[in-house]
Amino acid sequence: MSDQQMAFYIDLAACSGCKACQIACKDKNDLDVGNMWRRVVEYVGGDWTRSGDAWVSTVYAYSVTVSCLHCQDAPCAEACPSAAIVKRDDGVVLIEEDRCIGCRYCEWACPYGALQFDDATGKMTKCDFCADYLADGKEPACVASCPMRAMDYGPLDELRDRYGDLAAVAPLPDPSISRPAVVFGPHPDSRALGSTSGRIGNLEEV
Amino acid sequence: MGLHDWSLIIFTILGQMSVGVFLILGIVHTVAVRRHPVEEVERLTDRALFAIGPVLILGFIASLGHLGSPVNAYLSLLNVAESWLSREILFGTLFAAAGALFALMQWRKIGSFAVRRIVALVAATLGIAFVVAMALIYMLPLQPAWNLWVTPLTFIVTSLLTGALAIGVAFVASYAYERKREGADHAALASLLHDALRGLVTAAVILVGIQLVAVSLHVAVLSAGETTAAVDSAAALTGDYGVVFALRLTLAFVGAAIFGFLIYRSTIWATSQRTIGTLVGGAFGLVLVSEVLGRYLFYAASVPITI
Repeated sequence: MSDQQMAFYIDLAACSGCKACQIACKDKNDLDVGNMWRRVVEYVGGDWTRSGDAWVSTVYAYSVTVSCLHCQDAPCAEACPSAAIVKRDDGVVLIEEDRCIGCRYCEWACPYGALQFDDATGKMTKCDFCADYLADGKEPACVASCPMRAMDYGPLDELRDRYGDLAAVAPLPDPSISRPAVVFGPHPDSRALGSTSGRIGNLEEV
Repeated sequence: MGLHDWSLIIFTILGQMSVGVFLILGIVHTVAVRRHPVEEVERLTDRALFAIGPVLILGFIASLGHLGSPVNAYLSLLNVAESWLSREILFGTLFAAAGALFALMQWRKIGSFAVRRIVALVAATLGIAFVVAMALIYMLPLQPAWNLWVTPLTFIVTSLLTGALAIGVAFVASYAYERKREGADHAALASLLHDALRGLVTAAVILVGIQLVAVSLHVAVLSAGETTAAVDSAAALTGDYGVVFALRLTLAFVGAAIFGFLIYRSTIWATSQRTIGTLVGGAFGLVLVSEVLGRYLFYAASVPITI
């Protein structure tokens, strides 16, 4: 296991919003209905505005795929009363299920809705960065599934050298809260952090 | 709003009420012994003290309903170093232990008055720490409706308000019981009850005033909030949950202020015991329902900053 913080890279410009990553994640982890460790949020906005005799479109849409972002300052681990959420040396945040009491406090503390309650087991669940795949030197299921090759993963520092250091676009929360291990490649239409110009178009889905 | 949220409502209200009863009972005792004999005072206060234990235990049992894996509840102390939830359970347990020790000493009259006083002060401090830790659990940067001074303030006011009126009920019940006992002198006890009820309802009126101002300011602050989550929380309170919100404020006012006024105006000698019982029970009941509704809104109308 490396001792460098593992992270995801998402190329927003390349993402087509097909949700293959979301499905690959559900399949790999055999998630029940209601639990989605990776979700694709569609951010939509804009309007038609009149310019003389013509109507001009400013309509835009882009997709942001989000899972647990294995934050550097993981608020879930701090909140957990039974110390069941641990951060490994490679930065991967894991739930030790034996210790979980199912109080759902981590769910309130997580900025990304990554912690999800499993009704069947009475425990919290979340993305484990496909820790078993990582151990075998394989890509996480979501990264491998992307038909647009919009996803990458690796040590955060390397991803930043390669792709820059954009850690959030609308509608994601402020990354200073938890310092998520993620790098985004901007979309031509992506709105800056905190923008209220658009809205989540598929709210009932995420 | 699932069943597990109701267990949190019951737990937080009963936990806070237990602390409130303990604190106010201490104040009543301290003030009353200056003008009344200690034995008379404790004929009223001891039974109220012994009632705290069962209420607190009921609260802790209710809290288990919130857990997905209640058999693991004992592990909740493992992260005292970082987690306010661990600290809440720690202080709650210590408050229960110190309170139980004090109740035992008081029951058997073990130790001198001064020693018991010190044990009571330790328990009271732990009780305050319990309520403060409970509030700090909710002060999360992602929950703008909770992450305000209003949370600790209202938790403390809820403790004292429900505590004061619960003590009123316990006193009236104790008095009724004592009157049935043969050979006891009721005149001294009646005058003590009269003074105590007046003090308790005065406190309740002041506390409900603070509560109403805090609740209104909370909506105002959230409406002017920087995040959409804050504004949405305020809109949920006054919009979707507007009727519950109005009912919560009305019941608090009627219970503490109107019933409180009627209790203040009545005298133990001139008013029938039944009327006093109805008024004191009514004040407590209305305020308790109001506080439960308020806590329901606390959970239901909090819109988090998340996606």
